[in-house]
Amino acid sequence: MENGIGREDVAARLVERQRLSEDAQLLRFRTLGDGTASGLPGQFAMVRVAGGGLLRRPYSLADVTSKREFALLVKEVGVGTRALMTLPIGGETSNLTPLGTAFRPPGSDRTAVIVAGGVGIAPFVLYCRRLMESGRSAIVLLGGRRHRDLYLMDAFERFGMDVRVATEDGSRGTPGFVTALVDDALADAGAPELLSCGPTGMLRAVARLASAAGLSHQVSIERRMGCGMGCCLGCVVWAETRAGGPAEYLRSCTEGPVFDADRIVWDRDPHPL
Amino acid sequence: MSPNPTPEVDLGVEVAGLRLASPLIAASGTFGYGDEYQGVADYGAIGAISAKGLYLEPRPGCPPPRIWETPSGMLNAIGLQEVGIRRFLKEKLPKIRDLGPTLIANICGSSLEEYGELARILDDAEGVAGIEVNISCPNVAEGGIEFGRDPDMAARAVAVVRRGTRLPVIPKLSPSAGDLPQVTRRVEEAGADAISLINTIPAMAIDAETRRPRLANIIGGLSGPAIRPIAVRMVWQVARATRLPVIGMGGITGAADVVEFLLAGATAVQIGTMNFVDPGIWKRTRNDLIAYCRRHQVLAVRELTGALALPGSGA
Repeated sequence: MENGIGREDVAARLVERQRLSEDAQLLRFRTLGDGTASGLPGQFAMVRVAGGGLLRRPYSLADVTSKREFALLVKEVGVGTRALMTLPIGGETSNLTPLGTAFRPPGSDRTAVIVAGGVGIAPFVLYCRRLMESGRSAIVLLGGRRHRDLYLMDAFERFGMDVRVATEDGSRGTPGFVTALVDDALADAGAPELLSCGPTGMLRAVARLASAAGLSHQVSIERRMGCGMGCCLGCVVWAETRAGGPAEYLRSCTEGPVFDADRIVWDRDPHPL
Repeated sequence: MSPNPTPEVDLGVEVAGLRLASPLIAASGTFGYGDEYQGVADYGAIGAISAKGLYLEPRPGCPPPRIWETPSGMLNAIGLQEVGIRRFLKEKLPKIRDLGPTLIANICGSSLEEYGELARILDDAEGVAGIEVNISCPNVAEGGIEFGRDPDMAARAVAVVRRGTRLPVIPKLSPSAGDLPQVTRRVEEAGADAISLINTIPAMAIDAETRRPRLANIIGGLSGPAIRPIAVRMVWQVARATRLPVIGMGGITGAADVVEFLLAGATAVQIGTMNFVDPGIWKRTRNDLIAYCRRHQVLAVRELTGALALPGSGA
């Protein structure tokens, strides 16, 4: 799908809430009227909900299961996420969707190695669903502070993915950062392509590994957004417009959120790790 | 009994010599270069688009974080990230001149010479109907608000633009000007064709936990419904100080807010922050404005300009 095509303001109703931890939920929505659920893995929705603050908030499309059903992974960070997490079943939202760039599927002779931190797994649920539908698998590396921060592991296993986990407190999987799992995964994949989404420090570490190994690496970078439509210029990332070219502030809502990681100028990124 | 119980309401307005099909204008900096909202916003309800502010050269803008939500509003310090006038003419203008709404270019200079040069370049740009002169951006080191705070500087910026173009010249005033009616009279003398206001209000927010400012630029501009009563007051004061048409803006969320600005003296209005929240605002506001006019037996929306009912006026 070409960027920006087919987006619309879709009204939807909350139909199912899956509590993943004390501060994270997977919310399933059904569209109302003639609104369609669509979008590619990596694209996002700008969501407006009563009581959720003035501006819309961006959420990765975590799942699209039919022409009328989509899901968002929400972790509580403020008034916007809180309003969604307390929205009663049947409550309505307004969703500008699908927005932004998508993750490309791996080349036909390649295996995707996915590195996700915390709520950064969201776009990969849909990504792995699509892989499964085309009979493919991927290595999925999930990281979190604690066991409870590893969301939806069962979904990835159900899709037939090779799931490996790390927790900083050692309560599940390999103790430490998820990035420690990357080398083995790349070796096991043979001809790997990297995809990542999560905290900036993790993305930067994966970008270094990918760069050293000369591997394709797509990264999803989320920034605070005002409009999601490319107009407020609030969500910018310092990045090269073409490989080796000059850098400028690109919009994570329009040129992103999925970028080729080698275009991101990490050292100019002023966001805290 | 009326022979025509639901007459057509005339939403047309004339401002600075521009005949607009609707008094609703997209505010500069909130509608990109004009084509971004295609397929989502109803362009048929938009009278004009004031495009993103332009300098002669491209500008990178401020580092992030650039925006922060505040009670009923938002802070921004984008710092006028823009593509420069040449790329605008070559790449952006051809995409927007056939969209329907009248196109107003918005210019900002770091010097009087730059304002003049931009005006000369735009004068023969096909598809540009008017020039809004940004003398009120709070987020750039040079130009912007420095011109708008001072009546002399504001007048000089408008005069140099006036000399550079035959197009309508619309200075956008800053709420930070000490004496807005005085600035208004001076830019009128300098050749302005209309006045637009208000730009954002310089403001600041701090993260109590980290003790850091919410914006990398520390200070930003406050917009949204939070500033609307201030904007309405300023439009009222400015409209009484000039015979020029006034374009009012500040936190408009719908038709009742539009009417508020019109009654205070505005001929047209701009919608900015709330377009981010609800791109459907154009269609909804246009329809609600028609419904308001019918309910109040108003045949033409321009009848509302300055029609404030004051205590004791018998209205």
